[in-house]
Amino acid sequence: MEEEQQQPLAERLDLFSCIQCGKCTGGCPVSIKSPLNIRRVVRESSVRDELSGFMSRIELWDCTTCSTCAIRCPRGLRPVDVVIGLREMMIEEGRIDKTIIDALDGAYKYGNPWGRAKNKRAEWAQDLDIPNALEMDPGQVLYFVCCAASYDPRVQEIARSLVKVLRAAAVPFGILGNKETCCGSEIRRMGEAGLFEMLMEENMKNFSKVDPRVIVTTSPHCMNALKNEYEGLTTDVLHYSQFVWELLSAEKLDLKTPVPMKVTYHDPCFLGKQNGVFDEPRWIIGKIPGIEFTEFGRCRENSLCCEGGGGRMWTEGTGAGERLSEVRVKDAVDMGAEAIITACPFCLLTLEDAVKTTGNEEKIRIIDLMELLAMTLEGDAETGDVS
Amino acid sequence: MKKIAVLVEHRQGEIREITFEMLGKAHQLAGSDDEVQALFLGDTSQKELVAKVSPHAHTTLAVYDAALKDFEPLRYGSALEAVLSNADCDLLLMGQTAFGMDLAPALAAKMTMPFTSDVVDIEILDGGVKATRQMYSGKVSAAVSLKEAPKRLLTVRAGAFPAEDVPEVSGEVREIAWSVDGDFAVRKFLSYIEAAVGDVDITQADVLVSVGRGIKDADNIPVAQELADALGGVVSCSRPVADKKWLPKERQVGTSGKTVKPRVYIALGISGAFQHQAGMKGAATIIAVNKDPKAPIFSIAHFGIVDDLFKVLPALTEKVRELKG
Amino acid sequence: MDIIVCIKRVPETAEADIVLDAGKKGIDTDGMVFSINEWDNYAVEAAIQLKEAQGGKITVVSAGPEENNEVLRRALAMGADDAIRLTDPAFEGSDAIAMARILAAAIKDIPHDLILTGVQADDDGFGGTGVALAEMLGLPYAALVTDIQLDGDTLTVHRELEGGLEEVTAVKMPALLTIQTGINEPRYVSIMGIRKVAKKEIAEKSAGDLSLSGDDIGVKGSLSQIEGLFFPPVGEGAEIIEGTMDEKAETLVKILKERGGIA
Ligand SMILES: Cc1cc2nc3c(=O)[nH]c(=O)nc-3n(C[C@H](O)[C@H](O)[C@H](O)COP(=O)(O)OP(=O)(O)OC[C@H]3O[C@@H](n4cnc5c(N)ncnc54)[C@H](O)[C@@H]3O)c2cc1C
Ligand SMILES: Cc1cc2nc3c(=O)[nH]c(=O)nc-3n(C[C@H](O)[C@H](O)[C@H](O)COP(=O)(O)OP(=O)(O)OC[C@H]3O[C@@H](n4cnc5c(N)ncnc54)[C@H](O)[C@@H]3O)c2cc1C
Repeated sequence: MEEEQQQPLAERLDLFSCIQCGKCTGGCPVSIKSPLNIRRVVRESSVRDELSGFMSRIELWDCTTCSTCAIRCPRGLRPVDVVIGLREMMIEEGRIDKTIIDALDGAYKYGNPWGRAKNKRAEWAQDLDIPNALEMDPGQVLYFVCCAASYDPRVQEIARSLVKVLRAAAVPFGILGNKETCCGSEIRRMGEAGLFEMLMEENMKNFSKVDPRVIVTTSPHCMNALKNEYEGLTTDVLHYSQFVWELLSAEKLDLKTPVPMKVTYHDPCFLGKQNGVFDEPRWIIGKIPGIEFTEFGRCRENSLCCEGGGGRMWTEGTGAGERLSEVRVKDAVDMGAEAIITACPFCLLTLEDAVKTTGNEEKIRIIDLMELLAMTLEGDAETGDVS
Repeated sequence: MKKIAVLVEHRQGEIREITFEMLGKAHQLAGSDDEVQALFLGDTSQKELVAKVSPHAHTTLAVYDAALKDFEPLRYGSALEAVLSNADCDLLLMGQTAFGMDLAPALAAKMTMPFTSDVVDIEILDGGVKATRQMYSGKVSAAVSLKEAPKRLLTVRAGAFPAEDVPEVSGEVREIAWSVDGDFAVRKFLSYIEAAVGDVDITQADVLVSVGRGIKDADNIPVAQELADALGGVVSCSRPVADKKWLPKERQVGTSGKTVKPRVYIALGISGAFQHQAGMKGAATIIAVNKDPKAPIFSIAHFGIVDDLFKVLPALTEKVRELKG
Repeated sequence: MDIIVCIKRVPETAEADIVLDAGKKGIDTDGMVFSINEWDNYAVEAAIQLKEAQGGKITVVSAGPEENNEVLRRALAMGADDAIRLTDPAFEGSDAIAMARILAAAIKDIPHDLILTGVQADDDGFGGTGVALAEMLGLPYAALVTDIQLDGDTLTVHRELEGGLEEVTAVKMPALLTIQTGINEPRYVSIMGIRKVAKKEIAEKSAGDLSLSGDDIGVKGSLSQIEGLFFPPVGEGAEIIEGTMDEKAETLVKILKERGGIA
């Protein structure tokens, strides 16, 4: 790791093979509102000897690490990693926003970027009687809850819904409880590579103790990190949408109560663009009786980012323009959708915030896929509960 | 007979409240044949200040010297040594204030006086001195005893004792001679700067909606502002919030911010550290919202809600709006 | 400019549930998160900024067990040059004045133009170790410093007074300042940065090394003693409002109306 660090960024990321075609900037969701020009970042990072003046450019924090640039690059480069590399250098100098420092400190000390007490991580599940995965036999399902779902009261609803769904399907599963720690996905993208490794090691220790058949995550961000970035993790890692898709396909769930609602689906970047999970969530929505589905104009690979990733939960960004989440909500309202279904804690939070900031509380709500599923399992008496 | 001395604290031509708080406590500790002393250090031009404290002490020992006009710990320390050699007090009280914190620990070290700081209660039993002080931001109290010695020293937390109804006794004033001796130029008072005058004056507000670190993020300030607007009040804060520049420094309540006395003070996500309490405990009604039932703020609040402020705030704002139509 | 910064490792107690230890003279710190005392973090940053402007050397000193190496390493990663840990069973039971004596014994032999401490420690909150230390070293000092300007060998500092008032004071070096939070914006210390200094040696000094006798330190050398800890009565004044969120809000509005809280 440290050796990698010494290698110049341009070499490490093979930036000399960039042909400056500009497809990255063309697809970059924040480029319309931010001075961040990803093509130029790649260019300058490969020609400059001295990156320090350049790298402290504040707009580098505008990047949501959605990775559209990497998907579009004809040379197979990862421009997003240049941003992360530059952030790493800023982190080493220590000159970063207080809000970022707080998030990193929180993850270091308490295992979650909100700095909430470790021993309160499993409080959300207190009344749910979920087995401790560390005491289960090997080969079971480990539910990796995620910091947001553990501590944020709104996101806790996703976790509670998923528990209902798993129980309805009679799937035995366990959680790590207070032993779970941040997956480090956002930490790594904020440029704190050392801390990411530390968190990874801690989770890996527990994973090998539990030795599960599959790890199911609430967040696409956790899924992505565990699946693609955790060195040496061989266990299957699934986002809940993938796991529940399996359950539904095997007819383990009985979706009885109709949810008569016109909905659309917002693709989380870390689920869709970065991991190709486009169909499962749509298929699940399609299984819900009474539901009417309509697609966003920009969907699947072209989906618009909600601006919640890449550390943006902890820093505003410089872009003065309209938030992309607001664009998203307005589009959905215009389509006549009564709800945007999504499948990521950050998307849920940014979109719900945008519902408020655009004053659309009366017109539309944001529902997580698991909440939607829990509604149809339960009967409509409880559906009002979810918003 | 025991003698309890209080170091008078004054600044910019005024006796500071802490002086009377300490005098009040000294009288409470003193038996009928014990003596309460006031120790005054200042310039000749400040003699009229002495008249404000001397009625509340059996003896006032005063040093007047131009060098003592403004507080400078090296000179004050030297003058105080001269006074103490005349005062033969058993116990000396100073404030745990910017004044006392800049002087007391040095004096204790220099004169080998048993000392503890920031006490909220004092007991004298069989000649022994026991004090209560708080630790872990007020979550734990400690009973501390001071060893036997000719003179012992305590610094007292501002606001720990009432400043009202300090007994009047026939006070005698004695001047003590002291002259500048030593190299005091190494520390020199230059000036005072007033806090910047901000857009709103929280000291004038009738209703304060005050946010602490529990507000978590600058982005959440507007949620508190909404309640303040609905109530016709103003948003204030604890120091971490001002440190993070989520609100301007002028909005800060507490010992290093403003002291406020609104009709209603609503503390949201404020733990109630004493430096904060010191600035707001004078509020007629204090309402605290905190998810930690053990938060010290509940010890001075009149009403409390133990819950997530992010749930309470919107609910409350809505109800207030409903009421106002 | 040679600067010495005194740093303490303290448990974070803001969100923690505190339990007293068996002897009821301390708290049970099992499972607690420790970090550098917040004030000391600002002091280290202040030292680094002075060094960046003036050149020189920063030595950080901490008294305490092996775990204190964590905060010393963090300070090294932040930009300090040397670290010293003072440790001895004989230090146990030292009050703040005895602690200052221990620090003084270590510091007097290290060249210094400036010593920085925090205003107070987050845990014991004595708020005076720095000033006592200055007296023992015979240095001019200023407490509660919120701004430092350097002019030759004179420091012009702001001291934070009550009520939003500040005092401007000149202090001639060598001197000691106690640093108040908010004086600067402490930089981030990365894990990689800490790893880079992992092998850096941290000097250890015992009571013997510092020529401290048992009479000066520990319980014997302390003129104050903790008799016991207890929990202050909490919630005594506060009437806790219960019910559903709606009922709570309803009750609150009633109270606000009664108490003149709705203009
Ligand atoms: C010399 C000196 C002067 C000082 N002057 C001042 C001063 O003037 N003013 C001042 O305020 N401080 C001052 N301080 C700092 C003081 O010691 C405390 O550190 C500070 O008051 C703590 O602020 P807080 O209560 O906002 O934060 P914390 O102590 O961190 O408390 C946050 C509280 O929020 C609660 N909380 C968190 N999340 C939620 C939620 N979602 N819902 C409900 N509750 C929640 C927590 O339970 C906790 O009780 C001074 C310190 C010193 C040494
Ligand atoms: C009566 C009494 C008995 C005590 N008994 C014990 C005991 O038995 N065992 C025990 O472990 N503690 C004990 N303590 C606590 C210990 O003595 C405190 O660390 C000491 O009193 C300093 O006070 P403080 O930490 O509140 O420092 P403050 O005066 O609040 O701190 C100001 C600054 O001093 C410096 N500082 C303080 N402590 C250290 C340190 N250890 N290393 C480097 N710099 C430092 C820091 O710069 C800090 O910001 C006792 C305290 C008291 C008052």
